[in-house]
Amino acid sequence: MNKAPAARKGGLFRWGALTPLILALGFLLPVLLLQIYLSVHQWTAYLGPWWAAQFVGLDLFREVLTEERFLRAVARSFIFAGASTLLSVLVGFGLAYLMQDPFRGRSFYYMLFIIPMLTVPVVVGYNFQMLLYESGPVNHILSLLVPGEVRISWLGHPVAAFASLVLIETWNWTPFVMIVMLAGLVSMPKEPVEAARVLGASRWQIFAHVTLPLLKPVLVLTLILRFLEALAEFPKFWTLTQGGPGTFTETIPVYLYLTSWDYFNVSKAAAMSYVVLLFVGVIIYVCIRALLRQKRALDIMFAQEGSGR
Amino acid sequence: MTRQTRRQLSAVARHAVLSLWLIVTVFPIYWMVATAFKLPEQWLAWPPVWFPSPPTLENFAQVWVGTSVVSSGDQVLPPISLEPLHGLRNSVVIAGTATLLSVAFGLLLAYGVSRYQILSERRMFNLLMLRMMPPIVIAIPLVLWYSTLHLLDTWVGMIVVYTIFTLPYSVWMTKSFIDEVPVELEQAAQILGASKLRAFAIIVVPLIRSGVVATCLFILILTWSEYLLGLVMTAAEAQTLPVQLSKFEGTQEGRQFGLQSALSIGVTIPLIVIGLLIHKHLVRGFSFGMIRRR
Repeated sequence: MNKAPAARKGGLFRWGALTPLILALGFLLPVLLLQIYLSVHQWTAYLGPWWAAQFVGLDLFREVLTEERFLRAVARSFIFAGASTLLSVLVGFGLAYLMQDPFRGRSFYYMLFIIPMLTVPVVVGYNFQMLLYESGPVNHILSLLVPGEVRISWLGHPVAAFASLVLIETWNWTPFVMIVMLAGLVSMPKEPVEAARVLGASRWQIFAHVTLPLLKPVLVLTLILRFLEALAEFPKFWTLTQGGPGTFTETIPVYLYLTSWDYFNVSKAAAMSYVVLLFVGVIIYVCIRALLRQKRALDIMFAQEGSGR
Repeated sequence: MTRQTRRQLSAVARHAVLSLWLIVTVFPIYWMVATAFKLPEQWLAWPPVWFPSPPTLENFAQVWVGTSVVSSGDQVLPPISLEPLHGLRNSVVIAGTATLLSVAFGLLLAYGVSRYQILSERRMFNLLMLRMMPPIVIAIPLVLWYSTLHLLDTWVGMIVVYTIFTLPYSVWMTKSFIDEVPVELEQAAQILGASKLRAFAIIVVPLIRSGVVATCLFILILTWSEYLLGLVMTAAEAQTLPVQLSKFEGTQEGRQFGLQSALSIGVTIPLIVIGLLIHKHLVRGFSFGMIRRR
C-alpha cells in the first residue's frame, strides 16, 4: 500500500522501533525455557529450590495425557467456547441485522448494548452471582411466572452451573459480535443487494446468497477472536464456581490454576501448560492463517475510511 | 395490508426485540447499582428488594472510606479489612503506565511497519499469538521467573507484563490509523529536509492524535480489567482493584452483596465511561484494527 521503496530498510529507525519488541521477546524467552525445564522435572515448591529438582523425563506428560480429569477439562473448554461463541454470534448478528439501517434511537440502543463488554470480568462474575443467588431476582422472576416458589441453586447444580456460565459469557460478549457485524453490514457494498432485489430475489435469498457471502471475512474474524477468547476465559469461572460443583465447570484455565496454586503441583501444571500450549498453538496457527486469507478482503471492504476521523 | 402499515409493523417488531435485549443487557448492571444502595437486611431478602428503600450511601462509605455514615443503631456494618484506595492507586499506576508504554512502543512499531515494512505481514500476524494464547499457559514459569528477578508483587513487574501483553493490540490499532494518513505528506516533509522521526512526529502524530487517544483508552480498558496475571503475580503490595475485589468475598463472613456492589461500581464505572467515550473506535480495537466503523 504505502510503500516508500527508497527507504525500505529504514536504517536506524528500523532498529529503534524494533528494540522494544525484541526486548519483550527476550524477556519471555527464559519463561518458555523454564516451562520446558519444569515439565520434565518433578519440583515441589517447599522441598527445595527449583534448580535442584529431580529429572523425570516425559513421565509428567504421560501422566497428564492419560488423566481423565485433564481430558474432561479440555473437552469442557471446547464445549464452553463453542457454545458461547455460537450463541453470541447468533444473538449479536441478529441485533446487528436489525440495526443496520438508521432509525430513531439506534445510537441509544448501541450505547447501552455495548455496556456488558466494558464491564470488568470479575464484576460480571459477581453481578451474576447476585442474580443467580437462591433468593435472588432470577428465581423471583421464575416464581412469578410458574406456580409455586422457585428456589433453584443455579451454581450448585452441574448442568445448570455450566449452562449459566455459557449464558453469562454470551451476555458478556454478544456486544462484541454486534459491533463487529454492524460495522460489516454498514460497510458492505450496497449494489449486489440492490441488484438481487431488482432481479426478484426474496429477502431470505438475498440474505443467504448475497449478504452472508459478502460478510464472510468479518464473520470468520469474529468467530476466531471470540472462540479463542472464550477458551482462555478465567475470571468468571473463578468468581462464580471455581470449577465446582465437583469438577463440573472445570475448564483448562481453572484446572491449571488449581493444579499450580491450590495443589502446588507446579511441575504437573507446567507439563499440562505445555500440552495446552502446543495444542492451542496449532489452533491459533490455523486461525491466523485463516485471518491472513481474509485480511485482503477486509482491507478492501474497510478501505475508504479516512474521512471518518 | 398496505405497505405503510407493514413498515410500521416491522418497526414495532424491531423495537420490541431490541427492547427485550436491552432489558437483558441492562438488568445485571441495574441490580449491581441497586444493591449498592441497599441496607444490609435487604441484600439477601426474599422476595428480593427491587428498589432500595430508603436508598443508603452506607455501603459506599464503608467500602471506600472505611467509616460508617450511620452513627448509631443496629445498621452499622462490621468493619472490613480492605484498602480499596491502595488498590485504586496500584491500578491507576500500573494500568496507566503500562498503557502509555504499550501505546508509545506500539506507535513506533506501527509506523515502521506501515511505512518501512520492518515486520512482514506474516510476522505481524504472528505477533497476535502473544495475545491469543491463554495467559494461564505461561503463568507458572512467569511467576517463577519473576520471583528469581524479585519482580513479584511490584509495580515494575506488573507494568512490564501488561505492556508486553497489550503490545499486539496497540501495534495493530495504531497501524490502522497510520495507514489512513497519505504517505505523500511525509515524503514532502522529507524532501524539505526532515528526518524520518521528525516527519513522523510533526506530520503523522498530529493527524492521528484522536486515534492515539482512542488507542490509549482502549488499552487502558484491557489493563484495568485484567485479572488472572494480577491474581497470580501480586500479593499485598501491588494488588490491583479487580484482584482486591475478588479477594473481598473470601475474607468475609457470608455474602456481603451491598459492600461488594459498592466496590464493583467503583471498579467498573470508569471503564464504562471510557468505553462510551470511544465507542466509535471499539470495533477497531477489539478486531486488531481490521474492522472499522463508518
